[in-house]
Amino acid sequence: MLILGIDTSCDDTAASVVEDGAKIISNIVSSQDEVHKKYGGIVPELASRRHIEMILPVVDEALKKAGITFKDISAISVCKGPGLIGSLLVGVCFAKSLSFVHNIPLVAVNHLEGHVFSSFLNGVNPEFPFLALIVSGGHTSLYRVDGFGAYKELGRTRDDAAGEAYDKVAKLLGLGYPGGPIIDHLAQEGTPDAIDFPRAYLPGTSDFSFSGLKTAVKIEVEKIGRLEAEKRLLTSQPLRFSTPAVLNDIAASFQSAVIDVLIGKTVAAAKEQRLNSIALSGGVSANKSLREKITEHAPKEGIKVFLPPLYLCTDNAAMIAAAGFYHFKTGQLADFTLNPEAYLHL
Amino acid sequence: MKLESRNEAETKEIGRRVGRQLKPGDVVCLYGELGSGKTTMVKGIASAFGIDERDITSASFTIIAEYKGATPFYHIDLYRVETERAGELGLDEYLGKGVSVVEWAERAGEEIPEGSIKVRINYAGENARDIIIEGLRLNEID
Repeated sequence: MLILGIDTSCDDTAASVVEDGAKIISNIVSSQDEVHKKYGGIVPELASRRHIEMILPVVDEALKKAGITFKDISAISVCKGPGLIGSLLVGVCFAKSLSFVHNIPLVAVNHLEGHVFSSFLNGVNPEFPFLALIVSGGHTSLYRVDGFGAYKELGRTRDDAAGEAYDKVAKLLGLGYPGGPIIDHLAQEGTPDAIDFPRAYLPGTSDFSFSGLKTAVKIEVEKIGRLEAEKRLLTSQPLRFSTPAVLNDIAASFQSAVIDVLIGKTVAAAKEQRLNSIALSGGVSANKSLREKITEHAPKEGIKVFLPPLYLCTDNAAMIAAAGFYHFKTGQLADFTLNPEAYLHL
Repeated sequence: MKLESRNEAETKEIGRRVGRQLKPGDVVCLYGELGSGKTTMVKGIASAFGIDERDITSASFTIIAEYKGATPFYHIDLYRVETERAGELGLDEYLGKGVSVVEWAERAGEEIPEGSIKVRINYAGENARDIIIEGLRLNEID
């Protein structure tokens, strides 16, 4: 059974054909990085305009790569949120039109549910129940997953998402955007315990907080005293450190603080919930050090780790098609009254 | 008026007091360095509109976060916006409709309507902050 997935929740236009919720036949992602790079982030108005231009060619290519036509599709699965409302609208309107014109059933999928399902496209699936950590530029959340459609939020960030902390610290250090890969790269050359940045464990909850860490990096950078902080904040001029080693150490120490908290809280939640599998997803789950450390640490606690391949960590429509397959199989269809929602919990 | 906050909780409480004075159409501009507590202040302001503070997180990623309610609440964060590009955001679609709180408002350039309320948060120590409010008078007992 073939499902066509469509995701336009943020800045990537994505379409994919997936067989039986598990096998990727085609997976097309058109990145808007070039459009937004000059702004150092995503501009909602520009993102939705770009989706309008790209949605048709991207869906066409997904079908062409799969070597199929609309006649072969059993259902269209579209992301209904959370995300940027103008971006979501493009995908939802397009999917509704396709469904109407070609008379194909429509299903609507929560973007976060899609991320959970990215673990089911890798050949080896986690067994229910398991713990899902979704960690990206927009989300940092923990869910208990008892089965398809059975999710319980255990915690989420109270301020910045982990990926956002990377972007902000990268900007503070005069590095580029997106900050994750750049900091991850520098960190490989630095000493993780050079600076003892705070780790917000928020005992008694499974919530996260990365805002204080960002503030601590800022204060530390000023303490190092290699620049005029005020001027930099006003002009966004890049920092000039006397040696690259200092920058590498800040990157490594910051990254180690983020990863310690992510792994510490995720493993603690798994133990508390008596879950012996953890599935990671979202853009930050592509982080090299996070992948290495959790793969090394969690098994010591008797917990198995499931990591999606890198191309399924970031936004994609294969995960929407995979989740949509289970909606379709259980008869959860959407109709033409479907509207996207910017804020949706799972 | 100038207020002193000793910690995050006090910043949030000042935010709540600001929120209680606001009426539909008001625009609150927040100024302060990275980590000064702008999002914390927004949590406080939003709580006066019945929004759970857990639901207010950083809006840097999406730039505009919209909360439906009796009075629509817009949390706008221009951290990543270049001033000369602010006109392309369509801020006029939001500002003045419900209650808008704008972080990094200095980057909005001329998009900020006249008569907006200004709240400036300055570092006064690692946790302490000075909060300067213009265009709004807080009740002594609230």
